[in-house]
Amino acid sequence: MKIIFNLLLKDYIRYFNDKPAILITFAVPIVLIIIFGSIYGGGGSPRGKVKIIFVNESNNEISKIIEAKLDSSSMIQLVKKYTPENEKTPTFIDEEKAKQFVREGKRSAALILPNDFFADTSSSLKFKFFYDPKNEIESQIIQASIQQTIMMQISDLLPVLMQRKARDLLGGEEAEKFKNKLGSVIGEYFDVSADTIVDAMTNFKPGSSSGFSSSDSNETNILSDIIKFESEQLVGMEISNPGVTRIVGGWAMMFLLFTLTATATSLFEEKQEGSLKRLMCMPVKRSHILWSKYIFSISLGVVQLFTMFIFAWLFYDVDIFSNFLNLLIVVIASASAAVAFGMIITSFAKSINQASGIATLIILVMSALGGSWFPIVFFPEWIQVIAKGTITYWSVEAFLQVLWRQADFSAIALHVLILFSTAFIVNFYSLIRFKSGKIF
Amino acid sequence: MLKISNISKRFGRIDALKNIDLEIEQGEFFGLLGPNGAGKSTLMDIIIGYHKPDTGTLFFENEIIIPEKLVTRYKFGYVPQEISLYQELSAHQNLKIFGSIYKMSSKELDRKIAKVLELVKLSERKNDTVKDFSGGMKRRLNLAASILHDPQIILCDEPTVGIDPQSRNAIFDMLHQLNQNGKTIIYTTHYMEEAERLCSKLAIIDEGKIIANGSLNDLIKLSEKRETIRVRKTSGIISKADFLKSLGDVIELDYYFEIRTEEKGKQNSELFLNLEKEGIPPELIELRKSSLEDVFLNLTGRSLRD
Ligand SMILES: Nc1ncnc2c1ncn2[C@@H]1O[C@H](COP(=O)(O)OP(=O)(O)OP(=O)(O)O)[C@@H](O)[C@H]1O
Ligand SMILES: [Mg+2]
Repeated sequence: MKIIFNLLLKDYIRYFNDKPAILITFAVPIVLIIIFGSIYGGGGSPRGKVKIIFVNESNNEISKIIEAKLDSSSMIQLVKKYTPENEKTPTFIDEEKAKQFVREGKRSAALILPNDFFADTSSSLKFKFFYDPKNEIESQIIQASIQQTIMMQISDLLPVLMQRKARDLLGGEEAEKFKNKLGSVIGEYFDVSADTIVDAMTNFKPGSSSGFSSSDSNETNILSDIIKFESEQLVGMEISNPGVTRIVGGWAMMFLLFTLTATATSLFEEKQEGSLKRLMCMPVKRSHILWSKYIFSISLGVVQLFTMFIFAWLFYDVDIFSNFLNLLIVVIASASAAVAFGMIITSFAKSINQASGIATLIILVMSALGGSWFPIVFFPEWIQVIAKGTITYWSVEAFLQVLWRQADFSAIALHVLILFSTAFIVNFYSLIRFKSGKIF
Repeated sequence: MLKISNISKRFGRIDALKNIDLEIEQGEFFGLLGPNGAGKSTLMDIIIGYHKPDTGTLFFENEIIIPEKLVTRYKFGYVPQEISLYQELSAHQNLKIFGSIYKMSSKELDRKIAKVLELVKLSERKNDTVKDFSGGMKRRLNLAASILHDPQIILCDEPTVGIDPQSRNAIFDMLHQLNQNGKTIIYTTHYMEEAERLCSKLAIIDEGKIIANGSLNDLIKLSEKRETIRVRKTSGIISKADFLKSLGDVIELDYYFEIRTEEKGKQNSELFLNLEKEGIPPELIELRKSSLEDVFLNLTGRSLRD
């Protein structure tokens, strides 16, 4: 035990003598978490809104409401004017210009409400949307914001659209009968005066968000209740920085894999410089050397991750303290699995270059597949199945449970078990490999 | 004290050691002389337990050595042929780390470190990093790191390779001193001068086999019937190589042509005359008595070259 401790001490002394190594293990994660944190919504400072072109050629009331709603959106910013060359005063963008700007990559999307957007006789709404999906996240933000805004107007419009559709299909006279009948049926069963219903279906009054404003609200809510869009966030409400909290686990595991593979492959360097042989000729066993490497690596991994977490906490208010114990467990489990990965590579490789080459390749693949970079739901089903075979997946999921859901231990027990047992099995195998390998 | 019995070792197709039998007594300065690739390091590695032999047994004080038990590792000190140190750490840090492996209180270790640093004359440089040391200094530290735990037997694998004569002499003195203090030393080398100067007992190893074994005198006797004449190579002499080779059994060494003769006296004076007639100045000619070099030559038909 004392020997392991002394060897461990040796690794620390060597490590702290190696300034570039310290820089890489700590500065790189810190810098990256700060940069990427700022992209995913950082530090309380308002993130940039996504700019889209907006052209409103319609005079309709609804179009004005939609425009006003979009104007006040926190996600997107409407660009309506531009300044042509050789001119000083900005002019409104028209449809042609909008298309051109999107084509040229000046903006990612343009929303057009054409002049027949919602004419007096229309039985539907007409939008034009031009976009350039060069950036997935941006496109999604734009589409979500527009859909949300429009959806909110639907309940006002639905009865009118329904009535107009009926007229299109049934012809004027029949449609009139349908309207009156419908009005009286609704009136009879829902305790509303039939006239109110008929009136609402004939004369659209925009802006009355509760549906029909002609009578008292109790009476008219009935129709607007037909579409009821209730949204409630269930997870992560209390998380002050969702963006960073979601990604930090993925980064954590990737850094662990890189750092701890490097500490494992340092056995090659120690062999090269002969210090390993000297140890092997002293009262030291191979298992002493491997154990000390193992403990050193895990402790380095834990310190590295907590350094990164502390920066995530300082800069982006990521809450690492309220579920600290579980976070620590996940960090240690992930670190164990990451060292085991480094050890198995080291036990198979013939040289340090081969080891780091192969390791880098596998780490990048595992990080991509396992969800370090983006959620694995983006992948086709079969890749998602493969992803579950990576240690990255289990680690990233466990970090999400702990940091994002603030889950208790039962929610991460399986992940932790898988990480530890993978570490155990892989280590056992690399121990056997080391006996016939190049290092010892 | 240390008995090596029937040790063999193969690396793939190479027979590195073939049935080695040797016995080393307490207090001996035992030399293992052999050319490159003879198997010296392999034998040392097996003694320390770094390699497992394919066959054979090692005994230390009449007990079988089981390397896994690490017992002998406390009693042996191994100086590897390659510099085996943490290059980016200081001399003192190296000694502290390697010394801490042995069961010693840190006070005792500090005392030992001061002592060996004194012995290898690096006390003043103890806080400098190893990678800034000269070759000779690294060699000395390499030795120092192996004797911190006061081993009974010191195994030195070519501890003077690639260093200047001054450092070499310093290492000789240190080892001599250690031997005087009762340490048993096993020393491998391919310099016969070193073996002649240092060792009280010698074994000559070639192609994995011990070909001779005994005291220096015992070994020299093996070639006493020979005497050689050497002609130093100069540019003028090299042009006369064909003439020299016509004189008989001639071997071309790095710095000499060596003419071997069976008899003494008469034939040699005749040879001297012939050489003088050819215009070879007498200063370049020397008569040599037998040395380990000749023993090796005699036994293997090859020369032990640097
Ligand atoms: N690990 C190894 N794998 C394969 N072959 C080896 C190994 N170690 C030694 N050998 C071979 O065994 C033979 C003896 O090597 P060894 O290193 O013992 O020679 P040596 O006498 O120490 O030579 P030198 O004076 O060059 O140090 C050589 O032919 C060498 O190539
Ligand atoms: Mg050797």
